[in-house]
Amino acid sequence: MIQIQQLAKSFAIGKQNKLSDSEKNDVRFGGDRFHSVRNVSFDCAAGEVLGLLGPNGAGKTTTLRMLSTALQPDNGAVMIDGQDVIKNPLQARKRIGFLSSSTGLYGRLTARENIAYFGRLHGMAETELNQRIEELLTLLSMHEFANRRADNMSTGMKQKTAIARAVVHSPKVVILDEPTTGLDIMTVQTVLDFIQSLKQQGTPVIFSTHHLDEVATLCDRVVVINHGVSAFNGSLNEFRELTGSGDLRQSFLQVIQREAV
Amino acid sequence: MWQVYLKELTELLRDKKTLMFVILLPILIFPVLFGIMGLVMANVSRQAEAEEHRYVVIHADRAAEFTDSLFYHKNFKQVTTELTSVDELKQAIRDDKFDVAIVIPADFDASAANLDQSKWQLIHNSSSQLDMISKHFNELLKGYSQKLQQAKLLALGVTMEQMPAVLEPVKVERVNTAESRENIGELIGGWIAYLLVPLCLVGASYPAMDIGAGEKERGTLETLLICPISRTAIVLGKFMTVLTTGLVAALITVVSFGGWGYIIGSMMGVDIVAKAMSTLGFIDLSLILALLIPLTAIFAALLLSLSIYARSYKEAQNYIGPLTMVVFMPLVVSILPGIELNWKLAMVPVLNVALGIKELVKGTIEYSLLGVVLLSTLVLAGAMIAFCVSWFQKEKVLFR
Repeated sequence: MIQIQQLAKSFAIGKQNKLSDSEKNDVRFGGDRFHSVRNVSFDCAAGEVLGLLGPNGAGKTTTLRMLSTALQPDNGAVMIDGQDVIKNPLQARKRIGFLSSSTGLYGRLTARENIAYFGRLHGMAETELNQRIEELLTLLSMHEFANRRADNMSTGMKQKTAIARAVVHSPKVVILDEPTTGLDIMTVQTVLDFIQSLKQQGTPVIFSTHHLDEVATLCDRVVVINHGVSAFNGSLNEFRELTGSGDLRQSFLQVIQREAV
Repeated sequence: MWQVYLKELTELLRDKKTLMFVILLPILIFPVLFGIMGLVMANVSRQAEAEEHRYVVIHADRAAEFTDSLFYHKNFKQVTTELTSVDELKQAIRDDKFDVAIVIPADFDASAANLDQSKWQLIHNSSSQLDMISKHFNELLKGYSQKLQQAKLLALGVTMEQMPAVLEPVKVERVNTAESRENIGELIGGWIAYLLVPLCLVGASYPAMDIGAGEKERGTLETLLICPISRTAIVLGKFMTVLTTGLVAALITVVSFGGWGYIIGSMMGVDIVAKAMSTLGFIDLSLILALLIPLTAIFAALLLSLSIYARSYKEAQNYIGPLTMVVFMPLVVSILPGIELNWKLAMVPVLNVALGIKELVKGTIEYSLLGVVLLSTLVLAGAMIAFCVSWFQKEKVLFR
């Protein structure tokens, strides 16, 4: 169970950054700061998959970075199983598994070493860690390239390694930032299957995406972020029924336009 | 912190580029480069040594004894000319007809009884750094002049026994109080620092770029930041890695230079290296290391701060390039003649360590001054590490 309440975050604007006219019209510019995320609230229960939608630059990544404690919010609260993430980030990090869109791996380490490094940083004991790695290698069918260096892997192999790395410490919540962007169909399927398996285990998953078909197949809940505000927060069915047509694309556009008015 | 340290070291050891910079460069490439440079220099001076100078002498018959010695000198080759005026001769030399012209006055007479000074002219291009013409000419003229001196003094009634007292009324015998170590130290001490300090910087800078900006570029930094270890631990682990590589690079170089010096020295029968090494005691070597550790720590913290700030590898290189120049300035000052360690200079970063190393090699270090050098370097290192750690906590640095 993860609850997010009235999250907000602003960044200082460098003087050298010239803003375009459309950027100046963005409601989020106030004084010398850019209010990237102004008011985002939603929650995700055990076994639920939450899809985070929104145009580019809406504040999705910033929101997810705050959830994962990489960034510190200016305002608001994040609770995982009743524990405050912001007040106690070191504890909370043990409960969060985070996969960023860039799927960065250490190129000169093997798949196994990449996973093990993060396991050790999470304070896992060696025997427990080895056991868990074997489990994940089997689960994601990674045995054939487990000892290959990340530099020599295909994108799909890298993505699998990154997934294994994100969940090596058996997190209570999994957060994925655009996990399918720029991947081929086979690799996307790997990611979606993985989300499905987490759902079956009862682990709440929050992921941001631009693909509405992924939302349709996987998500229980939908949150739309626009201009740093959670403009829609409800179940997939509620989202679908926003317009008479039942088309997710229409629903999405309606939410965005409603906000613009 | 040690997890981060171990992992970074493993990764660096697997990187061919790091191995090149930190290990191969000092072990093989530097000595080979210096060797080639030495060979080229030796070759050039040998060539200059063997060069033949084409010469003309005007009124050669007035000083036959001198012109004969010129004629039989292996570096001089006589050519003939009808020119007589200085301007014409100059032009002929410019036109490469010959290299040198010697103008003896028409009225010169070696055996004349009068005591007038005779003025000769030596016309040549002396712009070359190795001015062999002057050298050879002066040698010949000195012998000739001595003979004339002797003849004239004898004619004036000075006996052979009195001759030295007239020619050289005062003879000074020099007694040098400097030990041979002090001389060698003055000679090579500055250069040792000049070599060691940049090596610590270069050895540290590549890994610093790799584990700072490189991590940002690969997109692994974000994942690292959300691990349940504090950012202080991460940055200190990285800092230790950079510090280690900087020191290892310097150590490897010293050992390899010692080794190569020994090999070359024993092959050529020169034992300068053995002599230089034997003058440095174990304590001196440890003190040099003790000076280098905090200095490398300053470099490591500085490099890591720059590297973490940079968005990409390339940006990091742009920041670190000028830093190298800044470090070289005090090093250049340290090898200037007359610069010695004092209370004020002991506070100047980099320069103080360079001068400290020089004094240690010379064996003339004042231990109170060395303490100041060490203390000021340590304080600065501590401040830089603290800055680096707090720098690493800033979101505007990490997420640019």
